[in-house]
Amino acid sequence: MTGSTASGTAHGSAAGAPPAAELRGITKRFGPVLAVDGVDLVLERGTVHAVVGENGAGKSTLMSVLYGLHRPDAGQVLRDGREVRLSSPLDAIAAGLGMVHQNFRLFGSLTVAENVVYRAEPRRFGVLDRRAAERRVEELSARIGLDVDPTARVDTLPLGVRQRVEILKALHRQAEVLILDEPTAVLTPGEVDSLFVVVRRMAEQGTTVALVTHKVREVLEATDRVTVLRDGVVTARLTTAETTAGEVVEAMIGRGLVPAVNPRGAVSGEPVLEVSGVRMPAAPGASRVQDVSLRVSPGEVVGIAGVSGNGQRELVETVVGLRTPEAGTVRLHGRDLGGLGVRERRGLGIAYVPEDRPGVGTAAALSVADNLALGHHRSPPIGRRGRLSPRAARTQAAELVRRLGVKTAGVAVPLSSLSGGNAQKVVLARELHHEAALLVVEQPTQGVDVGAGEEIHRLLLEYRARGGAVLLVSYEISELRALADRVLVMLDGEVAAELDAADATDEVLGAAMVHSAGATGGGER
Amino acid sequence: MNALAQRLRLGAPAALVPLGAVAVAALVGALVMLAAGVDPLRGYEAMFRGALSVSNIDFAVAGFTAILAMSLAFAIPARMGEYNLGGDGQLVAGGIAAAAVALSVPGPAALLLPLCVVAGALAGGALASVSAPLSTRAGVPVIISTLLLSTPMVALASYLVRFPLAEEGSPVPQTPRLPDAAHLPAFPGMSYTNVGLVLVLLVLLVTVYVDARTPVGYEIRVAGANRGFAAYGGLSVPRLTLGTLASAGAVAGLAGAVIVMSQPFRFIDDALTAPGYTFAGVAAALLAGGRPALLPLTAALFTILSVGAAGMERDVDVPRQLGQVLQAVVILVLALRVLAARWMAARARRAAGGRA
Ligand SMILES: Nc1ncnc2c1ncn2[C@@H]1O[C@H](COP(=O)(O)OP(=O)(O)OP(=O)(O)O)[C@@H](O)[C@H]1O
Ligand SMILES: [Mg+2]
Repeated sequence: MTGSTASGTAHGSAAGAPPAAELRGITKRFGPVLAVDGVDLVLERGTVHAVVGENGAGKSTLMSVLYGLHRPDAGQVLRDGREVRLSSPLDAIAAGLGMVHQNFRLFGSLTVAENVVYRAEPRRFGVLDRRAAERRVEELSARIGLDVDPTARVDTLPLGVRQRVEILKALHRQAEVLILDEPTAVLTPGEVDSLFVVVRRMAEQGTTVALVTHKVREVLEATDRVTVLRDGVVTARLTTAETTAGEVVEAMIGRGLVPAVNPRGAVSGEPVLEVSGVRMPAAPGASRVQDVSLRVSPGEVVGIAGVSGNGQRELVETVVGLRTPEAGTVRLHGRDLGGLGVRERRGLGIAYVPEDRPGVGTAAALSVADNLALGHHRSPPIGRRGRLSPRAARTQAAELVRRLGVKTAGVAVPLSSLSGGNAQKVVLARELHHEAALLVVEQPTQGVDVGAGEEIHRLLLEYRARGGAVLLVSYEISELRALADRVLVMLDGEVAAELDAADATDEVLGAAMVHSAGATGGGER
Repeated sequence: MNALAQRLRLGAPAALVPLGAVAVAALVGALVMLAAGVDPLRGYEAMFRGALSVSNIDFAVAGFTAILAMSLAFAIPARMGEYNLGGDGQLVAGGIAAAAVALSVPGPAALLLPLCVVAGALAGGALASVSAPLSTRAGVPVIISTLLLSTPMVALASYLVRFPLAEEGSPVPQTPRLPDAAHLPAFPGMSYTNVGLVLVLLVLLVTVYVDARTPVGYEIRVAGANRGFAAYGGLSVPRLTLGTLASAGAVAGLAGAVIVMSQPFRFIDDALTAPGYTFAGVAAALLAGGRPALLPLTAALFTILSVGAAGMERDVDVPRQLGQVLQAVVILVLALRVLAARWMAARARRAAGGRA
């Protein structure tokens, strides 16, 4: 780990200068779980350092130690070569560290601008200068090309936009060492690109960045060094310029990738889902939907592409029954679902993997078994004639955990003790297990590692091969291409383009998604 | 073995908190007694004797019955994160309804007993149910509407017992003595302890069973953990709210019916609310912390505090209000802990997102 990097950062560490931040021999346990085991990590000044590894490898835990959120059981944290004792994030911030968390930490009832400048407010006559804060947000978002309305209340925003706010917040503080824990999980490729342009520029100006990601493309394009964790220990340290995608993947999951093959063309029979003329006006916290029609047939995956906040969530919520449209119909197997609630629709054969995992898809305080039981709790083997068998729920949960390879200390532990990717697998396991005629999935692989992502793709394709119909919302073009038969692009509540998956190249999709640039993000008024 | 050790380690802090709260309360009580020049050991002994001695146990069990019922009335909606503070109103509604039925419907015990009990439960349940649509349709928090609805109900009962249902010629506002057919059968050799205890224990068993072993109990826990998750799973939060509140009110109403159908077999104004069953029930439920099976234990503790306090006053001349003070201290310690946890979480959150 000596010498400057091949990617030629202007401020690569000179020989002898101490690294901007360093972790030495960090060990952290949670009860019986050894999350991080004697890890060394050196973040040289002005470099972008990827921290990668499978779900539950200990990445978030390690980053939380660096940010003072977890006290390590053993080991030291050094800043500019001097040991620092971080007993809370306040100490870390004082030491020039900043972090974007995997699960957001924003105040829902405050505006974007208030969140961004929180605790670092521009003041005028001793009070928050709202206009200055809003200008600051506009300026930052213009600089990095992330479109956000500074006056919007955060709890009305779609997840992708909240992620942008988190990033703006970290940028506003101008931390010298910036930790980004899966910042791109819910961003579209264009947004990811502009984020990395900014990250690179910051690194050139001397900021040190630690980036946790599961996306190999991001590792290769945006970083200088790579540290790979597996089961809490470092398994590889690589220099990005000298490595390949294959090597990174191999180090992460211990094997190569065998991308799921997408055997197209088995579509058959009457459509399972028919949406026609669905329309609803924009409302606080909701984008408009303009006359959207689509159909999904058995054995077909229909993908919906688009920048977050262009009506995808509203459309999906209309299908599953969480939202009532102003006009238009939703039919399942030809039956009009108008007036039916979520429970009835689920009963008729709809399963749903929502984008917002902590807010909608799981209950953090309940056990893994309880999280896996929702929707299955009134049918055998768990529910029988008004009774519920906790034992059957545990048995089924253990089976699902095994099948999807969820890393957990058991099914009785609270969901909050699972790593992000493992919680995502819990949601998928539960919904796949319904074997419903229609599966609606938003961002199925958000936060899961490449190995598990490939496995999930395979499961979804098998689902389709069994005759299931899948409506897939994804921001990742590669995912849409890997899974979908047809791709609809949504822009400002309308279907702006409909493509055969074979034609859906990065360029074509990317262009359609931002077709009229002024309209993006316009849904979050 | 390993699993056991793990369970103990995880379980220990959660179980220690209520014990700690009780210990702090006991300590405060001891200090108060010392300040009053009373030997705390003698004071506590008098308190226990006041509740548990042979001559007092009969009365104490009746208090236990009421407190256990009121702890259920709080604990059931608390499972889904709704707080029922209207126990007094529901208790009184049940009591006055049972008394009215007993005084107006002639019939044998086999008819009148179930009729009065059911009338009490229905009245309490109906009153509590009003808070459900207020919360799910109009957005009035349950904790507020239950409390606000309680006062007028108590006042209404007070009016009824003074005028339409009053016993003629009585100096105190009370109903006439209920007919013999409406007296709950007492246990042999007891005068206060009666079938009411069995009824409330049955309700407790049903509650524990529903909580752990039925889909509805599961749904209530899900709704308590994350409303977004519940709605996503297709659970009807309005229906669950209505169900838990109606059940809670019904248990409180049942307690009211049991009280008027026991010695001295009448509805006496203030007699249902003055002993503070509702408050003791809330405290017992908070102390049990979401574990319905623990309610008998915590209810017993608060029974000793409230019933035994009278004995303490008599024997060692410490005012009986000390019992209530100790109950309040337990709640305060529990609340402080919640506040402290919140405060620390908020601090961590703020810290995580802010510059010092
Ligand atoms: N609060 C906690 N209590 C108990 N176990 C925990 C807790 N936090 C994390 N763990 C465990 O520590 C291990 C590492 O978790 P961590 O969140 O660091 O993983 P990660 O590498 O960030 O994974 P992901 O890519 O899925 O986000 C996991 O096995 C997880 O279950
Ligand atoms: Mg993580």
